[in-house]
Order: sequence, then C-alpha cells, then structure tokens
Amino acid sequence: MGPLQDEGRHRIGSRVGIALCWAAAIAVASVCLFIIGYLLVQGWHSINWTFLSTDPVASMTEGEAGGVRTPMVGTAVLVLFSTFLILPVAIGAAIYLAEYMDERWWITRIVRIGLETLASVPSVVFGMFGLAVFTLGFFKFLSASGTEGGNMAFGRSFLVASIVMGVHVLPFVIKVAEESIRNIPLSQRQGALALGMTKWRTIRKVVLPAAKSGIATAVVLGMGLAAGDTAIVMLTLGGTMTMAVDKWWQVGNWVEVLKGAGSTLTSYIYFNSPAGDGNSPGAALGAAFVLIAIVLVFNLAAVLLFRRQQRAA
Amino acid sequence: MRVDDAMLREDPTMSDTFLTADPNDTFSMLEGMLATAAPRVRSTDVPSVFEVRALDVSYGSKRVLHDVSLDIPEKRITAFIGPSGCGKSTALRCLNRMNDEIPTFKMRGKIRLAGQDIRGKSVNVTALRRNVGMVFQQPNPFPMSIYDNIALAVREHESRIARSTLDGVVEQALRHASLWDEVKGNLKGSALSLSGGQQQRLCIARALAVKPAVIMLDEPCASLDPISTARIEELLLELSADYSIVIVTHNMAQAKRISDKVAFFLMGRLLEMGDALQVFEAPQRQETAEYVRGAFG
Ligand SMILES: Nc1ncnc2c1ncn2[C@@H]1O[C@H](COP(=O)(O)OP(=O)(O)O)[C@@H](O)[C@H]1O
Ligand SMILES: [Mg+2]
Repeated sequence: MGPLQDEGRHRIGSRVGIALCWAAAIAVASVCLFIIGYLLVQGWHSINWTFLSTDPVASMTEGEAGGVRTPMVGTAVLVLFSTFLILPVAIGAAIYLAEYMDERWWITRIVRIGLETLASVPSVVFGMFGLAVFTLGFFKFLSASGTEGGNMAFGRSFLVASIVMGVHVLPFVIKVAEESIRNIPLSQRQGALALGMTKWRTIRKVVLPAAKSGIATAVVLGMGLAAGDTAIVMLTLGGTMTMAVDKWWQVGNWVEVLKGAGSTLTSYIYFNSPAGDGNSPGAALGAAFVLIAIVLVFNLAAVLLFRRQQRAA
Repeated sequence: MRVDDAMLREDPTMSDTFLTADPNDTFSMLEGMLATAAPRVRSTDVPSVFEVRALDVSYGSKRVLHDVSLDIPEKRITAFIGPSGCGKSTALRCLNRMNDEIPTFKMRGKIRLAGQDIRGKSVNVTALRRNVGMVFQQPNPFPMSIYDNIALAVREHESRIARSTLDGVVEQALRHASLWDEVKGNLKGSALSLSGGQQQRLCIARALAVKPAVIMLDEPCASLDPISTARIEELLLELSADYSIVIVTHNMAQAKRISDKVAFFLMGRLLEMGDALQVFEAPQRQETAEYVRGAFG
C-alpha cells in the first residue's frame, strides 16, 4: 500500500456518522413539511372570499363559525402594537448589552439571567400575570371597564394584550438585535473612533446603520412570535371571537378598539378546534392556513433581511 | 498645515482654506508640488511634530514598551520597523490614544503633539484623533457609499456644512488620495465594491478629509498586491509635502523606498532611530544590521 492509500480505519465510522446526520436532517424536514402540508391542504378547502371577508359567529353548529376578518385584523393590531411598544426598549437594551456592558459586572449577569428567564417563561404564565396586574383598578384606562365594576378593571384589551405580548417577545428580539450589533466588525468601529468620533456617535452613525437589516430581522422574528402566540391572547384579549367595537375601521373608533376585547387568528383557531366551544374544525383549519401563510411571510422577510445584512458586512 | 495649540481644543480655530479653496485651483497647486516633489534624501533636521519621552506601556501585567523616547519630524515620513510583536502598533496607537479603548492598557511617560501634552486635562481625545489620522492594516471603509464614507467624517466635525461645500471637500479629499479619477462617476456606489487598494486609499481620503496634521498608517499595504502598494507609496510621498507621516511596515524595501527617518523596535525597546540612509546603510547596532539584512523576523 502506498502512502496515499490509507487503510480505511476511519472510513466506515465517518460514513455511518454522516448517514445518521443526513437521516436526522431529513426526518426533521419531512415532519415539518408534513405538518405544514397537511394544514395547508386541509385548510385550503375553507379558504374563499366569504371566509376572509366575514366576521366570526359564535355558533355550536359545524360550518356556521363565520369568517376570519376581525381575527385577521386582531392579529395585525396585536402584532403591530406590541412591536411598536417594545421597539425602543428592545433596541436600547440591545445597544447597551452589545456595546456598553462589561461581562464582568454583576449587573450584566443579572440582566442576562433576567433575559434568559424571561425567554423561558411559558406565555400562559405571562398571560396570567398580565391578567392579575391589569385588572387592578389603577389600570382601568387600558381596558374598557364597567362589567366587573368597583375598583376592578376588565383587564382584557388589545392594549393589555399588546403590553403582555411585548414583554413575552422582548427577550427574543433583544437577543437577535444584540447579536447583529455585535456582528459589526471591530475594524469599522476603530475606523470611526480614529476619525475622532465618540463612542456614541460611532454607534449612531456607523454601527447601527450597518446593523439595520439585522435589527429589522429581529423585529420581524418578534412579529412572527407574537402572531403565533395563543395563551396570552386567550387570557388578556378576552374570551371572545368577535371584536368589541363594531365599526372598527372608522378612525374615530380606534381608541375604543385598542381598549376593547377581541380575537386573533390563534384564538379563533382555538375556539373552533374540537377542543374549543365552537367545534368547527374546517373553519379552524382555514384560519390555520391564513396564520401559517402570515408567519411564513414574516420568516421569509426575516431571512431576506438577514441575507442583506450578510452581504453588506 | 501647521499644528498649533488650538487644534487640540474642542473648537479648532484653524483657517478654513481647505474648505473654501477652489478645488481646481488647489489641484493645480498640488500638481505643481508633485512636479518638484521632494528629493528622496530629505533632511530630517526639521521641527518635531511629536515628542515621545520615556514611554512605558503595559497591557495588564504584560509590559510591552520600555522607556521609548523619539521625535517624529514634521512633514517627513517616519517608518517604525521591527519584528512582529515588538510593540510598533502599540507605540503608534499611543500617539492618537487609540489604546485608551483597551481596558487593560496603562502607560507612563510624556507624549507631546506640537508641544502640548496629549494626555493633558484640556485635551479632547476626539480633537486629538481628528488631528492625528490613522489608517489600519485591513482597509476598513464603512458599509455605505464612497461619498458618505467621507461625508460622515467631515460632518462629524462640521455638522452645519452646506451640501455644496461638502461636495467640494469630498472631491478634494478623493483627489488628495489620488482616488478621484477612479470613482468620480460612482460616488454613490458602495465603498465595499472597491478593490482592496482603492478601499485603502478611500480610508486615507477619509482621514485627510478632517484636516489632520499627522497621518499614521499601520502596515497599510500588508493586504495589498504590489501594484496597489506602489500606488500607496507614491501617494504617501506626495502627501508628505503637507503632512507628517508615520508608517509601520514589515517590508524593508518599502521602508527604504519611502521613509526619511526610521525607528527600529525590538522586544519593546526602541533600539535605534535615525535617518533612513544611516539606519539602512550604516546601522549602529548589531541587531539592526541583522534585521535590515533580513536575518530575522
Ligand atoms: N490588546 C492587547 N492586550 C494584551 N496584549 C496586547 C494587546 N495588543 C498587543 N498586545 C501585545 O503587545 C505586544 C506588542 O504588540 P504590537 O504593538 O501589536 O506589536 P507589533 O505591532 O510590533 O507587531 C505583543 O506581545 C502583543 O501580544
Ligand atoms: Mg502591529
């Protein structure tokens, strides 16, 4: 045997290892595709213009659950509003963590542990906590009160749900945004400092513009999470399928919409699933179709934005 | 451009000729200067722009510079040479206080720019760095347009500058860095699409745009091909008519070609410093002789 022919000692081991990795990857991909494919195929039957343009109806009869117009609007309101609320905090915290915090400070450790804990708390716990806090009379201005009277607030509204949802997605958004800020090469920061820019100006004028699409990725991922969460919606947006305000599209009603209860695609799915009160699996699958489409669009946007950052860096 | 005390203050009261001069006029002036470009052997018996005295530097408990004293002559090219790790970059980065960014950095000694202690109380680091430009080993243009790379630097120090004036300053800086002809049709194009050598010249232009007195370059050609390297060398020779230049280089041939004064570092000490001719032709120390002959490092 010449020096270029080895005895194949590691060859079999390598092949088996590689084969196992392939098998695992293919298994994951097929489970994933199966679930999405099943939901899409099943849900597709329910999708038509009427389904998309009518409001839900609370009914026990199969096929009378109505459409998903207000749940779609609800998802949009909740996603946009929770993002809007946390954006300044998320970006500020990401900048602080990436640029200013010294990993040796005890405060840094506490913030990191805090964020990780926050990220691992199940959303139903956030929902419960939110309900406990926002039913206090002090928070009446956030949700239309009256029904429960006295010094209790109703505690369920788009405002309340947005705040709670914001706290839920905050750690994820911070994490991704921090990472994209950290990814901006040191050499560019040094270039800016060497021109006589202060650290803050360097961050404002060089680092943040360069990290822009990474931060956008973080935000879009957060939106996807918010669109998909159910427990927070069930607990803090109200146990209802309909929007509290009828003519929600009129600008003059928007404050009332935000202070009122409502539903989203996820709560609509829950109510109409065999586990909920509605028992209209067809409608639930149709809504699932719409929701998956929305989340896929968010993820696709995140991927595209991320690519842009990669190319720029 | 003269260095004076005012330059280190927050509000430099420098003349604005650079900003207001008619670009064409200045360009022809520059061409005139090139025609009579300095002869390769220039006297280094000129005023010093930097005076470094008894500089000791450590990172944490690791001592990296011992008792370094040297003068950087005005409007000449000074080369720092020596094997890797001997402290050239550290010495360079002391001059614009870039080391201040490193938490473990400690220094003792005095560094004066135009007679003024750069660590003095009244000194503003950003003003110091504006006056002592720096170009790095890897070209590091910002991920934005060619124009914005320079405009950003200028606006940083002159936020109210008019657009038309700014256009002039950008052009001026690109001309000084002999990059204008290559990029004038593509100012809005991304700086990252330029070649390595062009990027490095853009970084030089960026440094020039804020009107420094000194330009420091830390192995600026290390990642460039020979042609780009030659262009940068030529550019530095041109610029040395107006600016004091300090260059760190590993390349003995380069140091020979462009420097007027040479400082040889070895293991954290300044072993020898003198006119380039003397250091290369008649080194005082055995180690210098071996190093410039290429015996080590
Ligand atoms: N940030 C730093 N922290 C600790 N040690 C450093 C740091 N930068 C440089 N050094 C050390 O200081 C010495 C001098 O480094 P440097 O100035 O970069 O040398 P040169 O530029 O001549 O190669 C080296 O031993 C290097 O390892
Ligand atoms: Mg170095």
